[in-house]
Amino acid sequence: MSERAEGPTTVESERAIQLLREMVRLRAFDEAVAERFEAGEIPGNPHLCFGHEGSHAAIGAAIRDEDWWVVGGARQDTQFVARGLTTNEVMAEIYGKATGSNGGRGGPMHVSNVDENFYGHAATIGSPQNPAAGIALAQQMLDTGNVVVCTVGDGGTSRGSFHTALVLAATWDLPVVYVVENNQWAISVSRDVLPPEQLSDYGKPVGLHTETVDGTDPLAAYDAIRDAVERARDGGGASVVECELYRMAPHSGRDDERYRDPAEKRRASTEGDPVSNLKRALLESGRLDQADVEAMVDEATAEVESAVEFARESDWPDPEDLYEHVFVEPLYGQGGN
Amino acid sequence: MPTRTMAAAMRDALDEEMARDETVYVAGEDVGEHGGTGGETAGLLEKYGEERVRDTPILEIGIAGHALGAAVAGLRPVVELWFAEAAATAGDELVNQISKQPYVSGGRLRAPLTIVAPSGGGVSGGAAHSQSVHAWTGHLSGIVVVTATTPYDAKGLLKSAIRDDNPVLFLPHKKLFDREGDVPDEEYTLPLGEATVERDGGDVTVVATQVMYHRAVEAADELAGEADVEIVNPRTFAPIDTDTIVASVEKTGRLVVVDETPLRYGTQGHVVSEVAERRFERLVAPPRTVGVPDTPIPYSPVLEAEAIPSTDRIVDEIRQVMAHSSV
Repeated sequence: MSERAEGPTTVESERAIQLLREMVRLRAFDEAVAERFEAGEIPGNPHLCFGHEGSHAAIGAAIRDEDWWVVGGARQDTQFVARGLTTNEVMAEIYGKATGSNGGRGGPMHVSNVDENFYGHAATIGSPQNPAAGIALAQQMLDTGNVVVCTVGDGGTSRGSFHTALVLAATWDLPVVYVVENNQWAISVSRDVLPPEQLSDYGKPVGLHTETVDGTDPLAAYDAIRDAVERARDGGGASVVECELYRMAPHSGRDDERYRDPAEKRRASTEGDPVSNLKRALLESGRLDQADVEAMVDEATAEVESAVEFARESDWPDPEDLYEHVFVEPLYGQGGN
Repeated sequence: MPTRTMAAAMRDALDEEMARDETVYVAGEDVGEHGGTGGETAGLLEKYGEERVRDTPILEIGIAGHALGAAVAGLRPVVELWFAEAAATAGDELVNQISKQPYVSGGRLRAPLTIVAPSGGGVSGGAAHSQSVHAWTGHLSGIVVVTATTPYDAKGLLKSAIRDDNPVLFLPHKKLFDREGDVPDEEYTLPLGEATVERDGGDVTVVATQVMYHRAVEAADELAGEADVEIVNPRTFAPIDTDTIVASVEKTGRLVVVDETPLRYGTQGHVVSEVAERRFERLVAPPRTVGVPDTPIPYSPVLEAEAIPSTDRIVDEIRQVMAHSSV
């Protein structure tokens, strides 16, 4: 699996700079979400993606606009941004506003935009894998040439729905790539309790392609996901790609993290921060200097601040909107229609 | 008018819709050579091929779950669950995904899929193969829940279910698959979300579907000369058309609701409450509800007959409301 279709992506590539720019953007987005939640502006309970930016940016770069992205796992909101949804519509949805991507009905767990071939998430962990297989079946039957990427966390790999989807993907030879974002923690339960040596091994009994990469190295994640996507596009079948990374944030806004050692978290969060890792590599190689990086951060911060402003100033939904979109109405034939 | 069995009528519906729309396909356990649960997919594999008639392994999660994705991405899946209880083996898919994704997307995402799942008891199927699920699935806002009672209903409603842009749970009663009935040769569809008055009468409204409908007809025949019974078949249980039921009670002033679902928190009580809230003053007798008691449905025919409402039971309930005079 280490043999790459196009050779490994290096820090010398334009792709490396593109990935860092995107990751800086994703980091800035979630920093704003964390800050605004603490300030009491955001309802609910955000699940921050710190540590997942490399994997999310890698998926965004590895797929085409026409490919589908299906969200699983609990680290969601930077997947929405990495898919190319505007920071305005995602932030407004997180605020629960009428201008959000889904008019405030979905919130941070259910952002979707089928116009962008972005399915979104059902929010029961490990659940969107079968819908992803169905979307892949549609690509196959409609002969679109498009591929589906579906994420899942380490926690979700124990769900029957995950394994069922692997069976279906293998049975029908579907153009789908399951990306396991293994951040080591299912809320408070360590990945160490799970039986396989590597979580991608779950694809082996049904004959799928499997690979595990260091997800704290965004270039390695990009290469693995890109290869799996292009193999699926070429009719080579489905894959399970595991990105090993580290959940740098608490599970959610209501998690005191008593189950993990603070010193270990500090160490893993330092060594396993994909944004710092790629930034350092680009600085050390001389591809970027400090001023370039600062410009990236400033640009991202300005975009996110503008999104926060947009969300704050947007209207709340009309309470009567509650009743809209339960059904597409009239039903077939209803009232003579 | 020619007669067809319900299974044949469903098969005709599938055949016509597959011929009409290339995005329609059928998937599920045993839908291929086996021909489906009761013959409703017989011959479709030969006619449409493996691409559009897909046997699956035993994975209800995948059958229901993949249908959601396929529907979102432009197909019109018709998927089969062997029995209605498999709605529970695909529980997360029904409860949290199929019913919710279109809504939480703010209407941006559509899921035009049909799940066919034979329901009901009376066949010594045992506790896990005899249940009717249109009460609890009717609680899941976002799924259209339809029952099939006659071959005519089954064909017209299944065609509409396939064409509808919402997820539809389509529930024929397994005991009625071989029952024959009139089905016109010419093409037709029947409206979703609308009840139908199956039999006109002036004294009492009986609300019933599936096997309970046929027993209500037997009861009405038995009571000829004693009570003029009107029978309303809701057809769709979510969203349920209470206007038609209220209009019937407006005429008769008496109400008996019979359904093969559990009485507790059930369809029967819901219909009565709708009528009571809207036209309490029109009722000349306390409404009666008939359903499955708070027990699982057992295997032994003797025990099962105690659980599922009989024609005699419906006759008794109608007599009870008829004992009250409108004067």
